Amino acid sequence: MPVLTATDAPALLRKGGSARVDADIPARFAPGDRVVVRNLNPRGHTRAPRYVRCKAGVIDRDHGVFIFPDTHAHGQGKNPQHVYSVRFSARDVWGDEAAPRDALYVDLWDDYLAPA
Amino acid sequence: MSKHRHTEPPSELVLRVKALESLLVEKGLVDPAALDVLIDTYENKVGPRNGARVVARAWTDPAYKARLLSDASDAIAEFGFTGRQGEDMVVLENTAKVHNLTVCTLCSCYPWPVLGLPPVWYKSAPYRSRAVRDPRAVLREFGLELPEDVEIRVWDSTAELRYLVLPERPAGTEQLGEEALAALVTRDAMIGVAKVAGPA
Amino acid sequence: MNGVHDLGGMDGHGPIAYEVDEPVFHAEWERRVFAMTIAMGFYGAWNIDSSRHARERTPAAEYLSSSYYEIWLGGLERLLDESGLLPRAETEARIAALRAQAG
Repeated sequence: MPVLTATDAPALLRKGGSARVDADIPARFAPGDRVVVRNLNPRGHTRAPRYVRCKAGVIDRDHGVFIFPDTHAHGQGKNPQHVYSVRFSARDVWGDEAAPRDALYVDLWDDYLAPA
Repeated sequence: MSKHRHTEPPSELVLRVKALESLLVEKGLVDPAALDVLIDTYENKVGPRNGARVVARAWTDPAYKARLLSDASDAIAEFGFTGRQGEDMVVLENTAKVHNLTVCTLCSCYPWPVLGLPPVWYKSAPYRSRAVRDPRAVLREFGLELPEDVEIRVWDSTAELRYLVLPERPAGTEQLGEEALAALVTRDAMIGVAKVAGPA
Repeated sequence: MNGVHDLGGMDGHGPIAYEVDEPVFHAEWERRVFAMTIAMGFYGAWNIDSSRHARERTPAAEYLSSSYYEIWLGGLERLLDESGLLPRAETEARIAALRAQAG
């Protein structure tokens, strides 16, 4: 890409760069499915935070298909797949000291998840 | 012969940044005028007043609110608040029973087109570490105490979805128009660490 | 990577430091770092995921003791060096030259 100019900058900023991919990729999960975050400990880039690894949650919504950062960060391709909002109860993540009604919603890629 | 210094020598950071910019410009990799536009955009043109307008519209126009909750990106785009770090938006509605709070534990992801650049506290270790673990204590630190029967939902922006909280409309604002309502809406309320206060 | 940037749930980071009426940038160098990072993002030699990973690879102790834009600066220097666009040696030489000039 050419060097960014002052003239082009405003329009480019307004356009942005969505990571959404227009691809007909099947979703492995649907809202309501119970899932567990796999015990992945990659040495490279990942967006699965440690605090949810091996924790079980429920698919709240399917955001659609997006670039997969774990491969994209390392020049290994976009590997597009579904991203889900997964709801975890605070007690399932932190234990009984957490407030009983509270929940965490974490956006997680298909590859991070397994059926619970 | 040593120079007589009237001011402190530039810090190491200032030197590093000057070095970097001078080299990038010399190599034709950056255009300094473009840098100035980028800075001006996020320092002066884009900020939480954008999100406040979206919130005020949602409070006064039920059809807009429905659009906002079902397709936030399109609804926000109606105002022209589009672009970088806001391409895929989700709006979270706060109610008497559900309070939403947003964070990016891994870095600092934040919905730039509607809120501008994030404040330092949002990007720092204390908030990033504690918001997911103990949201009630965090809210207490912000001066907000929520009853036990309110469900707190903490949303961690781990992917490229960007979250905007639609705070509750405060009581006593029924007579206010959209502009006056927007003036009440704070950045903190759209992150979820505060409620919107009614008019003074 | 299991880096220190992965902060969710960690203890010991202290109270939230809130600045009233905080400016968008606290120093001129922050403005320049922000803008250079965004501009080089558009250049296309790397993607946003690589740039996040470049920041994550800041050595742990340095990450925790650096300000936000210091981490961005280090990340940008790392990306420029690794991509071959601006080797560290060149940057270091320029810093030394500027330091000499400043007296």
